[in-house]
Amino acid sequence: MKTITYYFSLVASILLALPAVAQAAPECGAKTGIKATGSPIKVGGIHGNAAPGDFSSATDAASAYFDCVNENGGINGRPIQYLVENDQWNPELAAQAAAKLIEDENVVAMVGNGSFVEMSVNAPTYKENGIMAMASACAVSECFESSNIVSTNQGPLASSIGAAMYAVEELNAQNISCIGLAIPSVGNWSCGAVESYMTSKGLTGSSVLLNPAAPDVNSGLLEAVASGADSILVNLPAGLGIAFLGAAQEQDLAAVYSWTSSTPLYDMSVPAALGEYWDGKIFVSAELTSLDGQGIDNLNWKAVMDAYADENDPRDTFSQSGYLSAKIFVETLLSMDAEQLDDRNAVSDSIKAINDKRSDLMCGPYYVGEADRHMPNHAGIVVVNKNGNFEVVRDCFEYEGPYFEPLFSTEKALGLR
Amino acid sequence: MTISRQVWLGLIAFLAASISLPSIGSGQWLSILTSTSCFVIAITGVAFLYARLGMVSLGQVALMGVGGWVMLRMNHAYLLPFELNLMVAVVVTMVFGWILALPALRMRGLYLALITLMAAGGLEVIFATFRFPNGGEGFWGVMPSVAAPFRRPEIAQSDSAYLRYLITFVALGFAIIRLHLSSAPGRAWAMIRRSEAAALASGVNVTYYKAWGFGLSGALAGLAGAFLAGSLGLLDASTFRASESILLFALAVVGGVRYWYGVVIAALLLRVLPALFNNWSLDPDLALIIFGAALMHSIITAPQGIAGQLNDLLAKLRGKHD
Amino acid sequence: MKRFLPLLWLVLAALAVFILVAGKTPFRISGLFLVSGLAVGALYSLGGIGLVVLYRATGVLNLANGAIGALGVMVAWQLGHWGVAPSLTWLAALVLATMVSLIFGRLIAPGLAHRDPVVKTVATLGYALVVLGITAFIWEDDVRKFSLPTDQMAAIILDLRFTVTRMIVIGTAIFIVIVIWLYLDRTRVGLQMRSLANDRQLAALIGIRIVRVETIAWGISGVIAGFTGLMFGDLVRLEPFVITFMVIPSIAAAICGKLESLVGVLVGGFTMGIIESLLTLSPTLKSIRPVAPFVIAAIALFLMQGGRPLVFARD
Repeated sequence: MKTITYYFSLVASILLALPAVAQAAPECGAKTGIKATGSPIKVGGIHGNAAPGDFSSATDAASAYFDCVNENGGINGRPIQYLVENDQWNPELAAQAAAKLIEDENVVAMVGNGSFVEMSVNAPTYKENGIMAMASACAVSECFESSNIVSTNQGPLASSIGAAMYAVEELNAQNISCIGLAIPSVGNWSCGAVESYMTSKGLTGSSVLLNPAAPDVNSGLLEAVASGADSILVNLPAGLGIAFLGAAQEQDLAAVYSWTSSTPLYDMSVPAALGEYWDGKIFVSAELTSLDGQGIDNLNWKAVMDAYADENDPRDTFSQSGYLSAKIFVETLLSMDAEQLDDRNAVSDSIKAINDKRSDLMCGPYYVGEADRHMPNHAGIVVVNKNGNFEVVRDCFEYEGPYFEPLFSTEKALGLR
Repeated sequence: MTISRQVWLGLIAFLAASISLPSIGSGQWLSILTSTSCFVIAITGVAFLYARLGMVSLGQVALMGVGGWVMLRMNHAYLLPFELNLMVAVVVTMVFGWILALPALRMRGLYLALITLMAAGGLEVIFATFRFPNGGEGFWGVMPSVAAPFRRPEIAQSDSAYLRYLITFVALGFAIIRLHLSSAPGRAWAMIRRSEAAALASGVNVTYYKAWGFGLSGALAGLAGAFLAGSLGLLDASTFRASESILLFALAVVGGVRYWYGVVIAALLLRVLPALFNNWSLDPDLALIIFGAALMHSIITAPQGIAGQLNDLLAKLRGKHD
Repeated sequence: MKRFLPLLWLVLAALAVFILVAGKTPFRISGLFLVSGLAVGALYSLGGIGLVVLYRATGVLNLANGAIGALGVMVAWQLGHWGVAPSLTWLAALVLATMVSLIFGRLIAPGLAHRDPVVKTVATLGYALVVLGITAFIWEDDVRKFSLPTDQMAAIILDLRFTVTRMIVIGTAIFIVIVIWLYLDRTRVGLQMRSLANDRQLAALIGIRIVRVETIAWGISGVIAGFTGLMFGDLVRLEPFVITFMVIPSIAAAICGKLESLVGVLVGGFTMGIIESLLTLSPTLKSIRPVAPFVIAAIALFLMQGGRPLVFARD
């Protein structure tokens, strides 16, 4: 009797441990399993982590991936030394961080950048110093319209257009009111593009721009109501978005309009914050693929985070984005000549040569190229908040609209379409 | 410390700073010190106004924003040299300060502090709405893309040369105030501080001298903002929130409003301490707690601030009382 | 009645803005903005009333009111998150806010009693930074929502859905004004408070128990601050920084009442909210409408000078 129990429990524990074993094997870099011990390659990253929002998950993920790579042979035996700075949403600190990383530490590239102010302050600096920034959490136009910054995330403009497309194609929207931040390089830029898209479809679009510090979101809501719209596109950071939807809830408007949102509301704490009232009503255009996806990269991202990141590091879209930037960066370094790894110009040239990198995390191919604007990620999915979670309602689709024309011609030249 | 000792100390410090600091060799610290020096100029304006006239200005950073705005607009609109743009920025900010001060000049105490706070709040909204010029068209001059280049002074193009240039202006700022204090305006201010009624009775034009003081404070804010614009090449509205103006005044009191080294200490607390916290990965909210506690401590037990306490310490060490 | 005459300009200003900006819009729509503005204005009034109540009783303009309220509502949210019954969480918020207010009032304020009003205000500023720092440190930036059961209940006024929560804000603001007015004017303790605020040392000389009176004043202020924090957390945003610096528009409302007339604060706050909301209908001014409270406060200061140098009562 005892022997049977013994063998039974042995087999049971092995069977139970199998999934854990299957999960806990992240694959990074050269996958050699040998720790890298050469002289370090310096890479920098800047994130913004202070009120009103925390974008640090991108650099956390990149850091975890680099740790994993260092455990697996590094880059030709050399570990990556990842130096991360926090700009605390302060432009002076952002400039100081860039000065420290570029001038004092001589990093060869920036990876995983995520901030509201960093890109607009440092874009000229990056250009002057010939350094490329493979960003992961961008929210301002300067990030997508500068020669030396390229991001794995979509940003508010592309994401809003995705939401607008869904509203027009699936929710019968004829007149969209786009609620954005009254910051020229954020709200005006992205909501302006939504208006152009609606016009190009022969429909109507308008913008309501909120001052980020204003306590009164009510009058913004009323402005949207007064515009005669039949669909509202919430293009705000999560905290402000929740406040806006709270005001809409007060007015019992959930059934009166169709509701879409750009990517910031695709965050696991949002369904609980919104509550039952909004269940099944908010269609969010996510900039990367589903957090529960079963693709290789998505599972590997989770494995890397579980093995190398802190428990408290959020596993959100920016985290996926940071992982992806880091992964593509490492692949680029691995394809370079070993002697050139410390030469910033050589690294920048290799980054600019990146073409057609595919991943299940992104709907389209990632590419850089020599151009004065970069937005490789302009296709996404749409999810809806249901039962305290998110459900995918539309799988990868590419965004259209007048804004993307120049990008399409660059892609044709690179042989991507 | 007697006045001439202070002046000597100041001259020596200025020479030491302008020789050593710009050659500090670290890109990050050059940037931090440049920003700190800009704030030294701004804090000087607030400090002398409070120390010599008893007037509280809770809107100094907002005025810096005005100076920075004018500087950027001039830079992108015309092809005039840096120094000319600087003068325009200083004059415009001074006039702006006067306009704000008009209702305040006949008020005292709390109401003046409150109206500058209202101005700070209003300007915060305006900066957040209209942002700062970056080479675009129209009056506001904003375009949704990377900023157009900024032209620094001919003789101060590099970061370290710019810092040296800026330090010279810091010394100039201190010198101008010292000049004021030892001549007619300074004497008028001292009388007004003692008793407005007595000053009026002795024939001092109280409103005129108060306006002069406020104008000087505004001019210094404009100077600081313009230099800040030059150091970064662009400005962001988040630097000029009302809470920053409040914090600036708070730290001026903590540093010590009567002495130039008090002002320097305040600027170091305002800009270097947060940078150090960032370097050491400490939560920036801890800095808030420390500042708040320092402010309360300063107000209750050390009205002359850290500078005053340093003074007392030195006097004790020297064994005599100045 | 006569002393309410100066407030007429506020009402006239609101009317003027309404006619200028919303004259051509049908009332069906402009009415929405009017009611919405009333709701926002009530928040400004409430904040201002909290400031003026303490000011009239102790001579201190407590800039830490926002921070204290923020701490209270964050604690209420946290307790609710851990499953504590809602009414207990509100009680906890109010008790905590009162205690935090009393800590300053009993331990720190007496040491500053002889200093001038600006210095006392700056000291409360230091306290605000400490409380805000502690709150922000304990609760990391995250997306949170604070709701009250009264959010679900509403009435329809002029086509706009007015939740019971907003009605509570307006009702409480008016209630506090009436109660405090009666308290300060009619009760013994109220009289003692007013004399204390006038001249602390003289009040002590004539035998008023200063510590006891001040404790009551700071306690009442703490309760109001805690309540205001709960309302801001529900109706504005549950973010410590935002709630703390709502003290600035609250000061604007307080200025409309010259820091002494609670009715003035009430009317001032409502006017600010209404004008700010109505400006949404003006295509040129809608982007800078948050400036409205500050402009109104500045004008209020201007007008209240009346041509003579404004000597501040406790200068």
